[in-house]
Amino acid sequence: MDERSPMQKDPAALRRVLAVAWREFRHTVLTKGFIFGALVMPVVMFVAVAAIGALVGSQMAPVSGTLAVIDPSGSVAGYLPAELGPDAVAAEARKALERNSTLLPEGAAGQAASQAAALAPRVDVKVQQVADASQEDALRAQVQSGELLGLAIVPAELLQANPVAADGTPATFTLIVPSKSPPRLTGLLERALADSIVKARVQKAGSDYGSLSTLLSKPATAVRRLSAEGGEASESKVAKTLLPMGFMMLLWIATFTSGNYLLTTTIEEKSNKVMEVILSAVSPMQLLLGKILGYAAVSALMLGMYGGLGLSLLAAAAMADLVSVKLLLLLGVYFVMAYAFVAVMMASVGSAVSDLREAQSLVTPVMLVMMVPLMLWLPISEQPNGWLATVASFVPPAIPYVMALRVSASSEPIAAWQVAASIVWGFAWVFVFLWGGAKIFRVGVLMQGKPPSPRELLKWIRMA
Amino acid sequence: MNAPAVILRNVSKRFGEVQAVRGISLEVQRGSLTGFIGPNGAGKSTTIRMIMSIIHPDAGTLEVLGADAIRAKDRIGYLPEERGLYRRMRVAEFLRYMATLKGVPPAGLGRRVEGWLERVQLPEAARKRCQELSKGQQQKIQFIASVIHEPELVILDEPFSGLDPVNARLLNRLIRELHSQGRTIIFSTHVMHQAEQLCDRIVLINRGEKILDATMPEIRARFDPRTVQAEPVAADPSCADALARLAGVEHAHWVPERRAAELTVARDVDPQQVMREAMASMPMRSVELRRTSLDDVFVELVGEALPPSEESGNG
Repeated sequence: MDERSPMQKDPAALRRVLAVAWREFRHTVLTKGFIFGALVMPVVMFVAVAAIGALVGSQMAPVSGTLAVIDPSGSVAGYLPAELGPDAVAAEARKALERNSTLLPEGAAGQAASQAAALAPRVDVKVQQVADASQEDALRAQVQSGELLGLAIVPAELLQANPVAADGTPATFTLIVPSKSPPRLTGLLERALADSIVKARVQKAGSDYGSLSTLLSKPATAVRRLSAEGGEASESKVAKTLLPMGFMMLLWIATFTSGNYLLTTTIEEKSNKVMEVILSAVSPMQLLLGKILGYAAVSALMLGMYGGLGLSLLAAAAMADLVSVKLLLLLGVYFVMAYAFVAVMMASVGSAVSDLREAQSLVTPVMLVMMVPLMLWLPISEQPNGWLATVASFVPPAIPYVMALRVSASSEPIAAWQVAASIVWGFAWVFVFLWGGAKIFRVGVLMQGKPPSPRELLKWIRMA
Repeated sequence: MNAPAVILRNVSKRFGEVQAVRGISLEVQRGSLTGFIGPNGAGKSTTIRMIMSIIHPDAGTLEVLGADAIRAKDRIGYLPEERGLYRRMRVAEFLRYMATLKGVPPAGLGRRVEGWLERVQLPEAARKRCQELSKGQQQKIQFIASVIHEPELVILDEPFSGLDPVNARLLNRLIRELHSQGRTIIFSTHVMHQAEQLCDRIVLINRGEKILDATMPEIRARFDPRTVQAEPVAADPSCADALARLAGVEHAHWVPERRAAELTVARDVDPQQVMREAMASMPMRSVELRRTSLDDVFVELVGEALPPSEESGNG
């Protein structure tokens, strides 16, 4: 038997491979499923998030009305108009968002906070100070009827240095609101009252609240990480944890979406019985290469689309410097490797089975191995040079995903020899996978009937 | 140019425990129309798949158009037994794709596709998706896909299966046209009268072995006719009993739909002698020696040896 590959024997091989690749690319990218799933869906999600934000804003109706304050000391109510003013409300919204976005660097959080503050409700609350506590019942009735936004009862002992009630328990102030009062309004009044009480208490103790709060404010941190060469670099939490995860996910989604297309179209060709018609024109190897090439283009398109969107977002947040050209080139190399692993495995599985249900039993172990880098995201990005990360970098087919995590975790540069070794080792394994996968594909495409066991697959590799 | 289009020398193929093809040797001459006949599971499709280099023989050598089928793919048209279409692809686009794979240049391809669709009476199908066509229409598209690149060698595996009589006649005409253009045609079938009508050479395969390889006249000469049909004027079934008693007649039976008796002549007896005696024995409307049909040959060679199940395996 002639042992030369079909590519060597067939002078028109390249033409056939490219024709198959173009058909696969065209018939995937120009389908409703792809356009909707890969293009429209992200746009729809983006619009939906923006629309929900606008909707939430529209639901935050302006707050206006009168808050009655029974304030026997007469010193708390004076602070309230400022505490309920729009500036104080917006500042509080900003602080709340910054507290919840500790992973974002200052600039990005500030930008997001100012957008959030713009959504803060417009507040127009008048304060009615009442010195006489005997009016409480009448004021309660007005709250009940909706004439008042609320009634606050601030006991004088709250302004003491040690605010305790007559029974020895910590002193509290009471806020009475109508039954239909939204929780947002209650929170707003609560915060304004508490801040006003603190200010009045500081004033009473003879200090200045402004200078005291400056003295008490915690300083911001600027982490500078020293590199092995003695230089230093600023550390950003986004660069350390989110960016590597983002890159790995991008790689994962781009390769697995295409891998899934490869699996389903191969199964479809078998179940439609179009396989042998195609094999009358191309050899199994040419078909496999054409399919791999076609879906590589689909994968690259998705990677370009989502990656480009991610990079523009980084640029918009003034963080484009986190991504260097060298890093992008390396990620490109790991993308090719990751895609080759996934494509060969999916095409082999697709060729060996007759329907998607049968494919599940063979795809599940593959998926489990590929999930490992996702599960190891945190320890690897925290310790890109730890033993776990180093060992995982040499286990196929997880190599490209782990290395994508490691090279994009900017805090600790990876030794150049490890990067080079992972590329050489990884592509050596790609060829092993391609060799075995091509043999399975060659036998599998013409097989019908029950799906093979892993043992039978090994037999196919030996016999092909 | 006169070298055979296909040469097989001692080709064998085994699938696990099943020996699908056993040492087949044959030559298919250029410009001939050769029929591969045999029961289901005989090894016809396996032989054809080896000719196409879709699978490779365990032993023996093959030569197709002076090389192997991989090198000659663009010069071969193949309609497999297991055939389908890309369901969501449009018909014209599918045909253009297949033609491109087979090396047809893009210039004039659209016209070529239209021309073929008109020849199979499906001009309106060009814009339709393949899944919108009936089974018979899909088969016609599959046939076009196998010949659109104007191949020198056309291999059709069970081309008539599933076709209604009108479409079978159309396909029959198209195959004759291709043959008249000088193309070499191999087709497999287990429907004997189609092979008999179309082929100028028959290769009978049974249980992986070639048991007959001859032209139709050679087959007729070799399988000497031994059936005499006698139509008595009386048209009475009891006539068959009387005729069965004639010298040299092995047995006779009555065929009601023909109102005639069929007499099987013993091997060492001249059928002409039996015909004369039949004429003399009672008043006859007609007495004739029946032509040997491929069906008779098939039954004689394979009938006793048919496998218990005809469902299994590759054809």
